[in-house]
Amino acid sequence: MSDEIDFDEILGKYHSDPYEYVDIHAVHTGRVHFLVEEGSQIDGVSGEWKHILGTPLFEITRERNSKKITGTTNGVVSSIYSELEGSFVEAGEKLMTIRHPLKKKEIIESILKEVLYIFPAPERAKYFFSLDVQSRIEKKSAREVSVKPGDEIIIMSLMKRDTPVYYSGEKGVIHSVYFKPGISVDQGAPLIGVCPIDKLPLIEKIITRVKADWDKKD
Amino acid sequence: MNDLSLLTPSLLDDYVTSVEQVWRQKQTDLNSDTVFRYGAYVGSAIHVFSSLDRAMDTAREHISLQEKNGRPVVNGSLILASSLSLSKGRFSRSWHAPPGGLWGCLILADTFLPIFRNLIPLIPGIACCEALRREGASSAAIRWVNDVLLDGKKQAGFLIEGFRSPVHGENFHLLGFGLNLNNSSFPPELQETAVSLAQFLNHPVDVNSFTLSFLAKLRYYTGLLLYEEEQWLSRGGGEEYEGEHPLIKRWKELSDTLGRRVRYGYDVVENPQYEAVVKTIARDGALILKHDDGTTSVEHSGEIRYC
Repeated sequence: MSDEIDFDEILGKYHSDPYEYVDIHAVHTGRVHFLVEEGSQIDGVSGEWKHILGTPLFEITRERNSKKITGTTNGVVSSIYSELEGSFVEAGEKLMTIRHPLKKKEIIESILKEVLYIFPAPERAKYFFSLDVQSRIEKKSAREVSVKPGDEIIIMSLMKRDTPVYYSGEKGVIHSVYFKPGISVDQGAPLIGVCPIDKLPLIEKIITRVKADWDKKD
Repeated sequence: MNDLSLLTPSLLDDYVTSVEQVWRQKQTDLNSDTVFRYGAYVGSAIHVFSSLDRAMDTAREHISLQEKNGRPVVNGSLILASSLSLSKGRFSRSWHAPPGGLWGCLILADTFLPIFRNLIPLIPGIACCEALRREGASSAAIRWVNDVLLDGKKQAGFLIEGFRSPVHGENFHLLGFGLNLNNSSFPPELQETAVSLAQFLNHPVDVNSFTLSFLAKLRYYTGLLLYEEEQWLSRGGGEEYEGEHPLIKRWKELSDTLGRRVRYGYDVVENPQYEAVVKTIARDGALILKHDDGTTSVEHSGEIRYC
């Protein structure tokens, strides 16, 4: 992470295009049938328990098993590979892009994700801090809890199987926590963002600058 | 017989060959002899203690000590204790483990592929429920994920904790088990919700005989997980297990969870989140719940209580 950040460039980028472009890929091999078109409005998941599914995006069929894939974030379909309609696609093949309008908080998080070390979830599961880390967070705050490679920081809970997750990444303090106890986290989604201690002032500068700039704009 | 110190790996081998394998051959189309070979390492070392604080802690200490002394950790080792003094359930809930029950931990090296690893928690519930039914408790049933109930009261509970060994960094699954067998008194907070097999049957049970039956079934279903993994790989593997895994099928046969209205929560006792009806369980063992508004939730962890 560089100490020098061109705030004008970063903020200019978000001012001119305050969107996140979410690529949607085939979840596995199969024949694809689109359920939306370019310009369609997409709803993400909702409901108190995130149990109301988003807009159906496409159906993928493999060996007579059909799976409907729904939107996870709101936005508009900005591009779609409609020529793939009815075709057999490989797992991971890009099918469409959703343009999601960013809020101020999401912009800050988005910038921070570029400058923090992001530690991702190894599997779709529920996560909670290990007892030691939790007690340190309760005594101080997450931003005063330092972690280093090999530390047991998080417990992954899946089907009554609790597995310690060991940190692997830059040494630093836990700056951002992206999971809530009891809420499922998808594989690969960020769990925590870690910041080397000497970079903390820079991070604070980013947050202050973005907030001030966005408030001025609003 | 109620002397766990008499249990040895060779006694378990004899029981598997003379009783469990014979019974299993009549029950399944699968090649059960082959399945037993895959699971033969379960119980290949048995360490019996008259009393322990926590069997899981003893398992961790055992692994660490073996490594520090330059000795291998025998995969499938069992720690058994006649009683535990500091036992606990999930979220530090109390678990009463006096003499008369079966308390212990099975050490499994993490040699499973991820999609099969997720099914490990189903194994002890299935093994225990089968053993109870063979003992005469025909109404024994599994509540998702692996609580075993007798007429709605908890007879057995299981916990699986991961552990990375300190020297070589090898990953293990520690499968902790607590089965109420001949113990007949529970602390006040558990009296309404817990039961022992002897209370249910109105007569004491042979703890050693029941333990052999339970361990033989643990051996079979661990073998089944590995056998199916091998079969799946020989079919080309892929991103997910196609069809219904035999462990899921057996779980459904032994469970009374499907179709029930339940309270769900990550910690359902302290923080119940919602009520819904259990539609089914998914191929990966996840619970699929239908809300009153017709929408569904898929839960991969947490716990339920019947309404």
